[in-house]
Amino acid sequence: MTTKINLSKAAQDIARNGAEKMLQVTGVTAVVVATVDGFDVASAISGNANAARVAALASSIAAISTVVSDEAELGPSKSVIIDTESGFAIVYSVRRPDAELVINVIANSNAILGQVAYQTAQFARTLGAA
Amino acid sequence: MNEYKILFTGTMGAGKSTAINALSETATVNTDVHNSDLSVAKERTTVGLDFGQFTLANGDRIRLFGTPGQARFDFLWKILSKGALGLIILADNSRPDPLADLGVYLDGFSEELDSLPCTIGVGRLDTHPRPSLDDYADLLAAKNRVFPIIGVDVRRKDDVVLLVDTLLSQLESATGGQV
Repeated sequence: MTTKINLSKAAQDIARNGAEKMLQVTGVTAVVVATVDGFDVASAISGNANAARVAALASSIAAISTVVSDEAELGPSKSVIIDTESGFAIVYSVRRPDAELVINVIANSNAILGQVAYQTAQFARTLGAA
Repeated sequence: MNEYKILFTGTMGAGKSTAINALSETATVNTDVHNSDLSVAKERTTVGLDFGQFTLANGDRIRLFGTPGQARFDFLWKILSKGALGLIILADNSRPDPLADLGVYLDGFSEELDSLPCTIGVGRLDTHPRPSLDDYADLLAAKNRVFPIIGVDVRRKDDVVLLVDTLLSQLESATGGQV
């Protein structure tokens, strides 16, 4: 299968460096940047997560959250947080002129939700503007 | 009034979203996004689910759900098949190996197919007559399945109704008319 990902070199570098940087945040175990149709474009993983699998999951969550936010007339969906007893996952949408992306961050119970959410939003802003 | 759920699945580009859009009486829910997979000449693709609704002549309501086609979304296949009354698998005869494509869904939904009725709709037979419907039947037989196989153009509402009717008639024959 051949995929065509319309993403500038600069944006790809920011995605890769940003993912590596996010992985340094306490408790973060996986960071996957994916296209909206579920192909991973950059990832940094310290645990067992499979980047391709996470990319597909994240794109489904982002797409479903978009139809929910449209239905509720809330405007485009920005992010979804899945909170669990042992950690959380954040799915953050990035809309660029050349490509729509989804950042997926997975963190364990050592992570502080507010801190990771803030860092993810910063990462999304940088990647959106790159 | 009863409510039933029917699930559409099958190859990316076979027309699952098109079929649901053709049949639904209400505005459909579509989760299609830009497609980056060059193996399928397609601008957008479903990555979540499709949803539409349709009322039968007797007042019963059918909820139509569609899955993404790509196997990387197989986690949704399981979720969406919960509570389904039957499955419609769409094949695209213009693909390089449509029989192998069908095999992916027969295997991916094999647990569900042990108990649920299923109808196979084959698209683009007019421009791509091979494999024939008999070839599809042979593949099903090799997997110990017997399902109706129909040539369809899912852009036509009548063809989609035919698929749904064929599915429901299997249920009726299985339950003695008590759907």
